[in-house]
Amino acid sequence: MTAPPGGAHPPRILVVEDEPALRRFLVPTLTGQGYQVLTAATATEGLAQARSHNPDLVLLDLGLPDLDGMEVLCRLRAWSRRPIVILSARNQEHDKVRALDLGADDYLAKPFGAAELLARLRVALRRTIPTEAGDTVVAGGGLRVDLGRREVSLEGRPVHLTALEYRLLEALVRRNGRVATHAQLLAEVWGPGGEGNTHYLRIYMAMLRRKLEADPTRPRHFITEPNVGYRLHLDGPG
Amino acid sequence: MDASSRPILVALGSEARALRLIQAASRMARERGAPWIAAHVRTTAGPAAEDEEQAQVWLQEAQRLGAEVRVVRAPTLAQGLADLARTSHAQALILGRSRDRWPWARLGHATADELQRRGLDARLEVLDDPPGALSERAPGTSFGATVGTFLVLGACTGLAWLVPREGNLSLVLPIYLLGVAVIAHRWGQGLGVLASALSALLYNFLLETPRFSQATGHWPNLLFFLAMLLAAQLVMGLLRRLRHQAREVQRREVHTASLYLLGRALARSRTPEEVATAAAEHIGRAFKATAWLLLPEGDAWRSLPTPVEDPALPAPSELGPGLEIGDREGDPLEPLPRGGAFYLSLTGTDRSEGVLRILPREPGGLPPRTWELLKAFAAQIALALERLRWLEEARRAQVERETERLRSTLLGAIGHDLRTPLAAIHGAAGTLLLPGDLTEATRRDLLAMIQDESERLAHLLGNLLDLTRLESGVLQVQKEWQPLEEVVGAALGRLERREGAVPVRVDLPPDLPLVPLDAALMEQVLINLLANARRHAPGRDADLRAWTEPGRLCLEVADRGPGVPEAFLERIFDKFFRLSEAGEGGVGLGLAICRAIVQAHGGEIRAEARPGGGTAFRIGLPLPGDPPSLPEGAP
Repeated sequence: MTAPPGGAHPPRILVVEDEPALRRFLVPTLTGQGYQVLTAATATEGLAQARSHNPDLVLLDLGLPDLDGMEVLCRLRAWSRRPIVILSARNQEHDKVRALDLGADDYLAKPFGAAELLARLRVALRRTIPTEAGDTVVAGGGLRVDLGRREVSLEGRPVHLTALEYRLLEALVRRNGRVATHAQLLAEVWGPGGEGNTHYLRIYMAMLRRKLEADPTRPRHFITEPNVGYRLHLDGPG
Repeated sequence: MDASSRPILVALGSEARALRLIQAASRMARERGAPWIAAHVRTTAGPAAEDEEQAQVWLQEAQRLGAEVRVVRAPTLAQGLADLARTSHAQALILGRSRDRWPWARLGHATADELQRRGLDARLEVLDDPPGALSERAPGTSFGATVGTFLVLGACTGLAWLVPREGNLSLVLPIYLLGVAVIAHRWGQGLGVLASALSALLYNFLLETPRFSQATGHWPNLLFFLAMLLAAQLVMGLLRRLRHQAREVQRREVHTASLYLLGRALARSRTPEEVATAAAEHIGRAFKATAWLLLPEGDAWRSLPTPVEDPALPAPSELGPGLEIGDREGDPLEPLPRGGAFYLSLTGTDRSEGVLRILPREPGGLPPRTWELLKAFAAQIALALERLRWLEEARRAQVERETERLRSTLLGAIGHDLRTPLAAIHGAAGTLLLPGDLTEATRRDLLAMIQDESERLAHLLGNLLDLTRLESGVLQVQKEWQPLEEVVGAALGRLERREGAVPVRVDLPPDLPLVPLDAALMEQVLINLLANARRHAPGRDADLRAWTEPGRLCLEVADRGPGVPEAFLERIFDKFFRLSEAGEGGVGLGLAICRAIVQAHGGEIRAEARPGGGTAFRIGLPLPGDPPSLPEGAP
């Protein structure tokens, strides 16, 4: 894929990253894929760039020298709805969940490869492409969900889901491949007061997998991000 | 019953001689290869509670030395022992005897005689107290003693009356001398002197001719009186020495016994708390006092076994100089009385280990004559504390050596494992940057190698960080109730994305309960185990199974690889342990991480040989209580 998705002008990506080595890797990788790239080495610089250039997506490192990454995220979210993808060190599930709950769209754990980076960026940018109006059917890998008619089918056969299972599936579909945290899913499916009952969520996810996965122990669609949440994968195997 | 296997019975009371009896019985039992029974008879008269407590101490001691312990109730000691000897088929009975008798009484033994009468079918061994161990009888001037004195004098006079008269002083004198000696021996010096005077008068009035006349100033009378007085004094002096010797012997025996018991209790103590408990118990029993060990702890003093509740008792630091060696004139180990309590320095071989504080329970309850034993107690306690300190120091040194050894192993392994991929990356990048033409295939090959090697580096660093955080306790396990299926799915998915298809047969029963675990960490365990299986049995399917047992959930990852030699089944969980140095990929951290994670969950992991070849890694995770119930409306 050489042409980025979207309209006439190439998407503009702001990279807020203090490590020169990573910037040196990110800039040519993204430019090579046809994105327009802006860079900032500090949080202050990043916030200023975001203000003046209004990028289509921000790639934000959580460990910046001058300001806490969470703080930067909050300030950006105060005025921008544009996607934000977090770059975090490995094994910081707690930070990932916080960032996602604060409004980040996705995260990438270091070290990551170019292919993984580009796939995440595509998913994150797709959110801004309007799909609400006509496109109410999503399909992939044998699974087809029609949000308008509330119909679900697997390999062409209709599948019956309970109301809660359907609401869970719908919440994942609407995220369009982006990760949803446990807290977000609990709030969306069970409503306020559902927090802390993560095991409900897990049980319903297991039921969904049994109905919609060929092998529930090797899920293709309902991907677990341990200690973070789930994402729905419809782009076929892998 | 074979004679040699019949038990040896020893009768124990509360007296200190019990220690000798126990040792004798134990020795005899050892020599004859026979069992032995330590018996205590509670007679209906009932001893004092204190004696009963002391008897219990001796029974416990006998039990520790291998005796069977019996406590029986009987009207008399002899009857109890006779019954016990009969029912246990004892081959010998050991009894103690004090010398609290007139010489002719020593030939017999009240209890022994009664036993013989009851037809005892066991050899009777009577152990005498050491020579000189006379029991103390306090001489007094009670009414009975006074009456006795007069009776003896009367008897002497009667005897003397029978002697033919005419100034036979040589015959009368010994009669009175004997009488006075008996009186002084039995009833003490006061009555002895009185008897001397009375006998002089009696002689003068009744025996001297002419009778019933007072002929004072007659020289034989004066001589008679002086002889009586001298005899009384001599007998008294002799008796005093004997009594003193007796007390000394008895005191020695009590000292030896209580020191022996304290020493045994201290030898069993493994912590300062246990030393303090043993010390307080034995001091309490031997001195009727409450005792504390005050051990220095930084600037403060720790009081064991209980905190000191009385604020009036000064702490060692408030005592001023006196408890340190050389601070005091005279014996630095003498007890130092302060505020109603006594303080003793617990000085070991090289330094003071602490301070012993003793508060007598009775007023004036710690007279200087008890200090010798007290000092011996303090010395034993000090040595026990010193032994614990050395043990602790040795243990610490051992841990330090172990840590040092691990650190050097770790540095060596990390050094090697980090340098190898770095060298490859560095070399490949250098080649790529060289001027000159490389074929497209070579170029791609070098680039792929750079990617592979950097992944290996990242993997190694990740493992090291995980292990460090797990071991340092920084990493908190976030347990949540969840289906195992989800964790297995996540692990398989991640492994597939990383290394391609994972050949594993998964067998999870559909009715597995939820289990509390940290999904990210347990995923890591499964990934490590599955990657391990794939590395050692390439191309062969691994098996992943799970089942429940009461109170826990079991999970097994088994491969069909070459297997692990039995000697290494435990060691493969050690850090940097590799079965072969030339092993591909692994650096010997994967299984160590697995064990750390599983243990952080309160579970256990072990490896065993798999029937039919290969290795099975089995994990047991605790399933505490009931899993949370399903939300309402669940199918």
